[in-house]
Amino acid sequence: MRRLFTLCLLLVLVAVGAFASGSQQTSGESLVYATTEKITDMDPANAYDFHTWEIYQNVAGGLLKYKPGTTELEPGLAESYTVNDAGDVYTFKLRQGVKFSDGTPFNAQAVKWSIERVMRIAGDPSWLVTDFVDSVEAPDANTVVFKLKGPVGFFPSLVASVPYFPMNPEIYPPDTIVKDPTELKGGAFAGLGAYKITSFKRDEEVILDANPNYYGQAPKIPRIVIRYFADATTMRLALENKEVDLVYKSLNPSDIKDLMANDAYTTFQVPGAQIRYLCFETSEGTFSNNITRQAVAALIGRQEIIDKVFLGLNEPLYSMVPKGMIYHTDDFKEALGDNNVQLADKLLRQAGYSESNPLSFELWYTPSHYGDTEVNMAEVAKAQMERSKLVKVSLKSAEWATYVEKWNTKEMKAFFLGWYPDYIDPDNYTAAFAGTSGSAGMGIFFSNAQWDALFKKEQTSPDPKVREQVFQELQQRWTKQVPTVPIFQGNLFVFTQPGVKGVTIGPTMIFNYNTLYFEK
Amino acid sequence: MSTRVSLSPAGAIGKIFRSFSEAGRKYGVEWWILIAGIVIILAVAYIAFFPQTLAPYDPLDQNAGPQLGAPSASHPMGTDNLSRDVLSRTLYGSRTILGVAFAAALVSSLIGIPLGLLSGFVGGVLDRVISLIMDSLYSFPGLILAIAFAAMLGPGVVNITLAVAVIYIPTYFRLVRGQTLSVKEEVYVEAARALGARRPAIMWRYIFPNVIASVVVVFSLNIADAIMTEAALSYIGLGLPAGIPDWGMDIAMGKKFLPSGAWWMITFPGLMIVILALGFTMLGEGLAEILNPRLLER
Amino acid sequence: MEHQMKNLLKYFVTRTLLAIPMIFILLSLVFVILRVMPGDPVVSMLGAHAPPEVIEQKRVELGLNKPLIAQYFSYLGQLARFDLGDSMIFHQKVSQPILDKLPATLELTLTGMLFVLAIGVPLGAYAANKRRTGRDFGIRLYGNIVYCIPVFWMGLMLQLIFGIWLGWFPIAGRTGSRIFVSTFEKTGFYIIDTLLAGNIHAFIDVLYHLFLPAITLGIVLSGIFVRLTRANMLDVLRSDYVLAARARGIPEGRVVYRHALKNAFIPILTMMGLQFALLLAGAILTETTFSWPGMGRLLLERIYLRDYPTIQGVIVVFALFVTAVSLIVDLAYAIIDPRVKY
Repeated sequence: MRRLFTLCLLLVLVAVGAFASGSQQTSGESLVYATTEKITDMDPANAYDFHTWEIYQNVAGGLLKYKPGTTELEPGLAESYTVNDAGDVYTFKLRQGVKFSDGTPFNAQAVKWSIERVMRIAGDPSWLVTDFVDSVEAPDANTVVFKLKGPVGFFPSLVASVPYFPMNPEIYPPDTIVKDPTELKGGAFAGLGAYKITSFKRDEEVILDANPNYYGQAPKIPRIVIRYFADATTMRLALENKEVDLVYKSLNPSDIKDLMANDAYTTFQVPGAQIRYLCFETSEGTFSNNITRQAVAALIGRQEIIDKVFLGLNEPLYSMVPKGMIYHTDDFKEALGDNNVQLADKLLRQAGYSESNPLSFELWYTPSHYGDTEVNMAEVAKAQMERSKLVKVSLKSAEWATYVEKWNTKEMKAFFLGWYPDYIDPDNYTAAFAGTSGSAGMGIFFSNAQWDALFKKEQTSPDPKVREQVFQELQQRWTKQVPTVPIFQGNLFVFTQPGVKGVTIGPTMIFNYNTLYFEK
Repeated sequence: MSTRVSLSPAGAIGKIFRSFSEAGRKYGVEWWILIAGIVIILAVAYIAFFPQTLAPYDPLDQNAGPQLGAPSASHPMGTDNLSRDVLSRTLYGSRTILGVAFAAALVSSLIGIPLGLLSGFVGGVLDRVISLIMDSLYSFPGLILAIAFAAMLGPGVVNITLAVAVIYIPTYFRLVRGQTLSVKEEVYVEAARALGARRPAIMWRYIFPNVIASVVVVFSLNIADAIMTEAALSYIGLGLPAGIPDWGMDIAMGKKFLPSGAWWMITFPGLMIVILALGFTMLGEGLAEILNPRLLER
Repeated sequence: MEHQMKNLLKYFVTRTLLAIPMIFILLSLVFVILRVMPGDPVVSMLGAHAPPEVIEQKRVELGLNKPLIAQYFSYLGQLARFDLGDSMIFHQKVSQPILDKLPATLELTLTGMLFVLAIGVPLGAYAANKRRTGRDFGIRLYGNIVYCIPVFWMGLMLQLIFGIWLGWFPIAGRTGSRIFVSTFEKTGFYIIDTLLAGNIHAFIDVLYHLFLPAITLGIVLSGIFVRLTRANMLDVLRSDYVLAARARGIPEGRVVYRHALKNAFIPILTMMGLQFALLLAGAILTETTFSWPGMGRLLLERIYLRDYPTIQGVIVVFALFVTAVSLIVDLAYAIIDPRVKY
């Protein structure tokens, strides 16, 4: 009796459900953007991850910005700028009549306040400001003057990065880091970007609507709904069920392969400037000897990792400077090679290891921060390293919070990390890991006076020939000292329903939503 | 409740054997359930102890076959995303899960039984306090506690065993304490009448035969439950570190490949969990029916 | 009658008072566990590059530098004021995400319970009726097997068959991506909210999404109820009451499925209360498998982030619920069944 009722209910549900799902279509009014990323802090003073920066690039903006899809800088909130002869004072002339989305007027004071706030709070990305900027002044409402600590050739690229974005002084607290926009005065975020945040439900749904006060061209799609998915599999299925219009970061390699092969979806490949690498704690213990580091580096088989774990979707990388960026070389290939068990054994014996006294260490990875392919990459790497009879690897993992702590306390001697560009320049891929201060912050603790001198040289010299020479030398030295081992360079993929156009993501990996449109 | 018998431990074991043969003669359904359970357990135990005799490949071999290959003649359960043979991984995976579950049940009983005896025997405030703690633990969803413990201790075989063991201590505690209490009543009265009888010795003689049947049943069911808990912990990612073949982890890894059509990575480890848990459940239930009919009916 | 009421009240008060130390014990246990965990929440909050002075300052601010005992008592004091505290990682009160996600878990758990009863009870009754036949044996076997199926695996299998292969049901989330939750969300119980908003399209979508996770719970936990219903029914079927009904000529079907089942139902209700704990545990695994934004996933997320106060808060809420449900069930049982002495 009761069973019959349940059965009937089931049948009704199925029938009705089939009806309900059929009526989902693409609407010209809004685009549903699916991602597995997470927003960290809604605060440029502390946000230092890919997705949160992406949000800011659409709801806020910098004095300069990149032309969508390119590495060309163009005027943003500033109309123009000048540099002094010494190259250490930049003067920006701001656009006039610009307002935040809540009506607050934008001026040089807001810029000065924001920069000083980032310096004061000293959060994760603050080094992008404090390493270079000495002070910032606002002599009048439309002029901002940056006095730098020394000449920096790529300062305009820095200005286009998120920590330099002006925030609304009326709503941001001057000294505390904001996590959710609901903590702001007024309960909502008001920015200078093409979109404004209409509603914010962390890890579920963020709704962006076109900002009426935007100084630039209004976006073609008035509403973007970002839907946060807990895992890639359901996100893929959502695309296939037409529940979402666009999917970006991060699908499983098997899903990417399937979707690429399927004509029903448009594939957009983002030129890769994201890299993955293995770090060593170089100051004490197992890996303080560079020969040991070289040996382990030689054992890695890049293509094998790419094929097994990523189904061939990435590119092997033989230098910390990614392919496609200026001054890139392939030094690691010649110097150490791949799956080079012979060389590794030779080096290990040199370092004092043998079959009875093998190099034994813990290899760390973080299971979800870079996607869940990490564990597979670690497993393959372990198998590769143990092809040498003189190596014994045990795998360990820690969630991101603990991972960060462990690299600070030097507990992790060998660990995997990933990197996205903060600004487009080889300096961002090298000084951050091997310059004394940067290296300590990344758990590598590498410090070499000659290297620091080289970094200084390339940072302050405007002459591309000088910089090229420095970077070539650095990359060569990298194969000898091996503070880190470059493994692969990643491609990112965007998949959309057929009617979605205007996806412009360039080498900067910046995704501007305001270029998107629906084609009827 | 079974009849109260005053026997030596040897006599008690003899009684159990006699029950077995009686049931065997009857060829009741419960007997067959019991046998089925024992067969399953022995089979899986063999697999756990000697997987190398059955596994065609090294479970860690990342070049065993094609990547994500469907079940075939050379790979009856297919291959996974790192080209490892699923059959071999499934066979070797029995070690971890059986080992952890058995060890956890052992640890639980070794802590819970003496505690129950002590608490029931001593009585008073100590009994009230320990009982309260045990009741709190018992009524709370065990998995959540296990998650908290596993998260605290971190990955590792010993840690997971401890995390799982903690949640079953109250079960043994309650069982033994209950028996101890009811026996204590009678024995006290009898001892008051008898002359010069030493209470602890009598308690031991009275408690042991009556408790052992229940404990064995609970132990068996406990292992079944521990298997499920361990699998759940690994599935969530709080289990063992990567590298050791583990059913829960393999299922978590395999689910990413479902839309691509690779159903075999989750199906076979999952089936093994069901079979193994079922084996111990059948053993426990079968034993219960035979040794103490209606013990579990209520 | 008044005497009875007074006794009932006394019983209720005693049971409630007993519940408090139980929650307290669980709480303390979890408190200690969390403080011993590796992983520093302050680093998680402030980031890797924060200077050590800033980290130390934050630690003092959060009271993490005080001895464990002091932290413990200050937490107890907080709880006495019904304050679950502030999250260590996010700038929010602990109660905020809990209140946010509790309806999701409750909606899933209650619907799951419905399915458990809908599957387990009729099967159990049928088995009792056909005692000792092949069908009885088959149903009992089903009950045993089903209990041995891991909840998450059942969920995955259902996802695979009904979601991926057949495409009949969605396999994740509470709503489809084109249903904008902020347009109707009020209580958090989407079944109610969508009806209140008059959004039938969303209502159907919500039911649709609720189905697979709820029936996963329903199937796996139905085994216990099959056995329980069968056992109780067997007792009732042997009772005088049923004998009398049969003697009066009432058709067998009605005797079994209406009269006998009604009487057997009370212990089933009790069991429901006791099994609530199992349902919650199962819900955590189901939430993980179906990406359900409930308390189970909240717990796991906050464990990764080392957000002690929120983790404690979630466990306290779980404990409260388990205790409350068993209390209510005990009380209902005491009222309904005159045989219960209190």
